[in-house]
Amino acid sequence: MSTPEEITAQRARWMTVAQKAGTPLMSVLLAMIVGSLIVLASGGDPVAAFSSLWEGAFGNAYQTGETIMRSTPLIFTGLAIAYGFRAGLFNIGAEGQLFMGGLAAAWLGIVLAGLPWFVILPVMLVLSAVAGALWAFIPALLKAKVGAHEVITTMMFSFIARYFVSYMLNGPLKAPGPGGTPGTIPISAVLPPQSTLPKFTDLFPWLPPNNAHVGFLVAIGVAVVVWLLLKYTTVGYEARAVGFNPFAAQTGGVSIALTTVWSLCISGSLAALAGASEVMGVHHRLSDQFSAGFGFTGIAVALLAKNHPIAVIPAALLFGGLAAGSGFMQLNANVPDKLVDIVQALVIFFVAAESIITWFIKRRQKEATRNA
Amino acid sequence: MPSVGVAEIVSTVVQPDLFAAAIRIATPLALAAIGGTICERSGVVNIALEGLMLISAFFGVAAALACPVVLGITGVAASWIGVLAAILAGVVMASLHAFASITLKSNQVVSGTAINILALGLTGFLIQVFYQRTGTTDSAVLIPPLFAFDPKPSGGLATAWNWFSGVALGHTPLVYITIVIAIAAQWALYRTRWGLRLRALGEHPRAADTVGISVVRGRYMAVLMSGALAGLAGANLTLEQVGSFSENMTAGRGFIALAANIFGRWTPVGSYLAALLFGFAEALEIRLQAFIGVIKIPPQFFLMLPYILTVVVLAGFMGRAVAPAAVGKPYEKE
Repeated sequence: MSTPEEITAQRARWMTVAQKAGTPLMSVLLAMIVGSLIVLASGGDPVAAFSSLWEGAFGNAYQTGETIMRSTPLIFTGLAIAYGFRAGLFNIGAEGQLFMGGLAAAWLGIVLAGLPWFVILPVMLVLSAVAGALWAFIPALLKAKVGAHEVITTMMFSFIARYFVSYMLNGPLKAPGPGGTPGTIPISAVLPPQSTLPKFTDLFPWLPPNNAHVGFLVAIGVAVVVWLLLKYTTVGYEARAVGFNPFAAQTGGVSIALTTVWSLCISGSLAALAGASEVMGVHHRLSDQFSAGFGFTGIAVALLAKNHPIAVIPAALLFGGLAAGSGFMQLNANVPDKLVDIVQALVIFFVAAESIITWFIKRRQKEATRNA
Repeated sequence: MPSVGVAEIVSTVVQPDLFAAAIRIATPLALAAIGGTICERSGVVNIALEGLMLISAFFGVAAALACPVVLGITGVAASWIGVLAAILAGVVMASLHAFASITLKSNQVVSGTAINILALGLTGFLIQVFYQRTGTTDSAVLIPPLFAFDPKPSGGLATAWNWFSGVALGHTPLVYITIVIAIAAQWALYRTRWGLRLRALGEHPRAADTVGISVVRGRYMAVLMSGALAGLAGANLTLEQVGSFSENMTAGRGFIALAANIFGRWTPVGSYLAALLFGFAEALEIRLQAFIGVIKIPPQFFLMLPYILTVVVLAGFMGRAVAPAAVGKPYEKE
């Protein structure tokens, strides 16, 4: 039995959780209202749009599986961007690190094919993460040494990564055509089964058919690791210190430069895992269209989660659901699937402008006093 | 393929149209970069340039296409109305950024990112709503070059004339307007009261406030002006260069423009010259692609060049730059 004090403390804790979750939920609600207005203005039916969106996201086991599948890379990119934000860095180029992670996985999966799965899978994931960290290293170094803004450099590096992947898929990594003829399309060879992440239905055949894969569990595991890293390790503590107040951190003996490099590289490695898990769990090969902008949706995920690694999971599920439902919506409610991007941008906007509500109330009060 | 010497490649590539292309490609970058300069000089970061350009590029075309139906105006006149619509679209989107970053004091980089994603989503959405397909819009009438000229037969002065006209005279109106804007903005920034006040807002808003300059109003004006300039940039892309709008057609130009602004040391003329450098790199890259068989470098590496150049510029291999002191910080009145 808990004492009254304990109950009060518990209630207070729940109140803080509710308060913390309040603004993000409010933002989602506002974004959906504005999204509905846009649908209405374009001559569509918002109720049909959002109900078919829901249907497409969680309507049945298969669609729920789609939502889980699509939220898996978003957990990784959400974590990547959240980790950067915690250290005061905006890794807007997560998409590029994701591409490098996917590239590494597509290559390693073929090269290491002789090894058993319990060796290949961890090695592929770790080395893909390293590839992403390396891709983030130059922007990190430039930020630390000459103050080059990471928003521009990581963005440029993501364009460079996309062209590099395109080159690899048109050259060294291009899959041969049937019967050993030279390949014609820019796509890599299919990975052998031992270097792919199994679907849940492969492991548990009694599950209803769906496309969710084990990468989802890996993503949740990594979210917990990132949470522990931030909370209990020196690296994480220093990242938070620099993100909170770089000058105070420096006075306290933390190297801003070193922390910047570490943090952006960790962020890059997390984004790369998104690419690796897409290649290993979904496509089983690499094409240059394999990412549906996961790196950018990760920004919305991180902001909605208020950069908390565990909260990234439900936030990713929300955007994964929107992505899964968008095609369904276009088909059934005849509303362009781009509506989901608009909602996503509005969520970012409203989370960023969280004072919009207090501002509005203050304005009303001012008007009221003026009128009185 | 017969072997081609370096001299031959150089003589094929280094032609008036290389420099003309550099100026043409530099124009939208320069317009957005000058917008970035004015915005950042007032103390507001504008990551949203990319989205502002994109949305105005779309509304420019959409308005030009709607003109014959709605207003009964056709041809180039419709495209000029498109230019006005593009400016308006840029200003309206920029006002969102201004509201979020000045009035609500949100994180300016995040607000800018929201606008970039919004622009991408909204333009894609509206293409489907307006034109019942994905990817691209219909084509509007292109605004023609300002001067028509005939190449003179070669020899002596005629060669010089051909070079001059080839490089400088074949451009569309906004190309020249951009040069005028760059010079005018430079003058305004350093020789007028408005410019002095603007710079004060970005360097020391508290001091500006103390002497009676409205920080909020000054910053709003600056952000809206950057929206108008990004709007012109978008109009140049669709109504003077391409004719139609295709999804995500800005392809990172807004970010390159920000780098040009930094490389130009937060000055309008500097921004223009930096944009010209990027324009030249891209023009060169496009022309060198014709020699892929000879140079033996895969095309993707050519396509990377503008982005690599941006990073090199930011890396400060070409000298360090100091940003306005108060850039990115919301102003709290005491």
